[in-house]
Amino acid sequence: MVQKPLVRRRRPSSLAASSDGVPGEGSGVSRRRTFTARRGFIILAFFLPAALFVGVFTYYPIVSGAQMAFRRWQLSNLIDNPWVGFHNFVTIFTDPSFGTIALNTVIWVVASLVPQFIIGFALALWLRRRFRFRGLYQALVFFPWAISGFLIGILFRWMFNGEFGVINDILIKVGLIDKGIPWLADPTTAMVAVIVANVWYGVTFFAIIILAALQSVPEELFEAAALDGASRTRTLFAVTVPYIATTLALTVLLRVIWILNFPDIIWAMTGGGPANQTHIVTTWMITMTQNGNYGIASALGLIIVAILMVFSAFYLLAIRPNKRQIG
Amino acid sequence: MKFTRKVAAGVGVALACVTVLAGCSDDSGSGSGGTVTLQMVESLTNPARTTLLKSILSDFEKAHPTIKVELVSPPTDQADNKIQQMLQAGSGIDVLEVRDLTVGPFSTNKWLYDMTADMKDWAGWADFTDNAKAVSTTSGGTYFISSGFYGISLFYRKDLIQKAGFSEPPDSWDDLLTQATKIQGSAPNTYGYAFRGGKNGYTNITLAIEAYTADDIDLSNAYRLKNGSSMFADPRALAATKAYLNLFTNASPPSAVAWGYPEMVEGFSNGSVAFLLQDPEVIATLAQSTAITKEQWTTAPMPVGPTGKSIQPIATGGWGIAAASTHKPEAVKLIQYLSSADASLKFTQGNSMVPVIRGADKGDLYKTGPWQSYLTMNAAPTKYISASQPRGVSWWTDWGTKADADIQSVLINKMTPEQLLAGWDKYWTDKWASGAK
Repeated sequence: MVQKPLVRRRRPSSLAASSDGVPGEGSGVSRRRTFTARRGFIILAFFLPAALFVGVFTYYPIVSGAQMAFRRWQLSNLIDNPWVGFHNFVTIFTDPSFGTIALNTVIWVVASLVPQFIIGFALALWLRRRFRFRGLYQALVFFPWAISGFLIGILFRWMFNGEFGVINDILIKVGLIDKGIPWLADPTTAMVAVIVANVWYGVTFFAIIILAALQSVPEELFEAAALDGASRTRTLFAVTVPYIATTLALTVLLRVIWILNFPDIIWAMTGGGPANQTHIVTTWMITMTQNGNYGIASALGLIIVAILMVFSAFYLLAIRPNKRQIG
Repeated sequence: MKFTRKVAAGVGVALACVTVLAGCSDDSGSGSGGTVTLQMVESLTNPARTTLLKSILSDFEKAHPTIKVELVSPPTDQADNKIQQMLQAGSGIDVLEVRDLTVGPFSTNKWLYDMTADMKDWAGWADFTDNAKAVSTTSGGTYFISSGFYGISLFYRKDLIQKAGFSEPPDSWDDLLTQATKIQGSAPNTYGYAFRGGKNGYTNITLAIEAYTADDIDLSNAYRLKNGSSMFADPRALAATKAYLNLFTNASPPSAVAWGYPEMVEGFSNGSVAFLLQDPEVIATLAQSTAITKEQWTTAPMPVGPTGKSIQPIATGGWGIAAASTHKPEAVKLIQYLSSADASLKFTQGNSMVPVIRGADKGDLYKTGPWQSYLTMNAAPTKYISASQPRGVSWWTDWGTKADADIQSVLINKMTPEQLLAGWDKYWTDKWASGAK
């Protein structure tokens, strides 16, 4: 019986060859120096373009933008930008609208996410079944995701128009209301309207991702569940959901980040009105930018980043046991 | 050897990339044969206007074979932000559309070229009206040459006011309230007034306040009275505000809290609304309406206040040159061409604007139909008083955002008219006291 060596002998690498092409066996110090310099140079050569690209186009703007948050940076005078410490943050937190805007942001995320998830999941389950023209149905369902959010906002703004909008027209015709509701004129109904538009838009995203995950579940598992006599509901919660739990969790995380960073629909439908009552943090940031208050807009950007980082950390910690369970 | 070749190849590719990128970033605009290409960006974009502008630019290129003009037309809502980014970057822009709203911050930040010296002996000034010359030389220099004016008039439905028993359109804000209230609900989906509660809603309420305080308005700053205080502090401002808000309560669609420009124009254009306060550019839009005929509507002068006067807050825009432009002499030639009598008239008439060329408003176009009200207003300067709103200040956008939100707060009963006016008075008084520009 031939015993395998415990430690595999390393194959001489071409990178480890000395300049004369002979493997540098037994030439201690000089071999290590030559090897390190060349290997290091090549690693650097491969690493540098990507690092430069990311550094110039991603990190420099982030850092540059972040330092604006600590300066008085206003359109009225962009030449003189003195350091003001946390003054921009104090301005934000003491603004009378801040409480409403923070609450709106939470409502916007939660009230958009939950229906998007449930309807998207249901759609994905439905589209997973084989039926005639399934491809066509899938294309139709996924189509909204290809449209600009701002355009969707403009379309829904007209649909929710109190006098000329199709939503009121339908509701009156089916007898649910007697006269048109001025949807975008009242803070509560305006918030409902923008969330409805966002739910319509975001359902597609969940449907796409969840359908892809569902298609990865082996048929054998469903057959085994059927043999064990599991009902459809039991199969859904005992087989399907646990199998795709990681995808679901990460999709929810991504969606929370995107919804929070998605001002397009609100901006196009209400512009944050009436009376700032439908603003979320990101639409407020746009308003500040348009007003020329770049320092405050940048501070709002940093606050959003901080919120999302904290949320992501807690969320990933919370879903960790599930990952183990699936693994 | 292999290693050396790889490194050499890598360096070669990198150099090639740098060369290509450098080629791409060449913004000198100097082409072959001494041709200069000017980058021009417009702000108040709409498709018909862009087509018109392109045809004028084509005429310019024919007259100046060594100069080409590339027109960039961002969507109106984003145009000024886009222009600002280009000016900040200091490249890719030679000629730009400067508005009375942007000339203040743009010139303060030294992004605009002062054309005073270039325009000193320009013969075209002789054709300009006094107003056009005045607005083109404010802000401490010649940072833009006005291309036209946007005045306000009252669009109204002739048939609806007749049905309601009125023989004449409203002359005053009180008349407007009376007529609009009577028309409201007189037929299904019929409303009196296209109330502007959404974006830029503050522009209409300030018209009402100015009309009520017209006797004492400081003509160089239509937000201030001759005694130096803001017009919002005057008791007449409260009466004007209440009258104006009654137009919403008694004579407007409830969802007008959120109505901006598109909804107002759509409401009038689809035949639902009887009165609309708007710029003359709406004339071209309404001419294309399939719901109302040209015989059904026309315009009247702006409503006057209790003393029979109103303030005409003339808005304007024009053509300026980026301070960072490397083709200033060619850019000056372009602006002088655009501002010459023929090109300017073509632009203002095709774009439904009040002309900057002296005597142009005597032409047939301005004597008939919806344009007539502008002649009426110009013919009675003591009744329809021309005054400048402080639109050039750097905080104008900030003011607009605050004022819009405040009006909506009043409309949804979260603020009283008294609180609204007190807040506005404090805002402007503080700004003026701070010496900010």
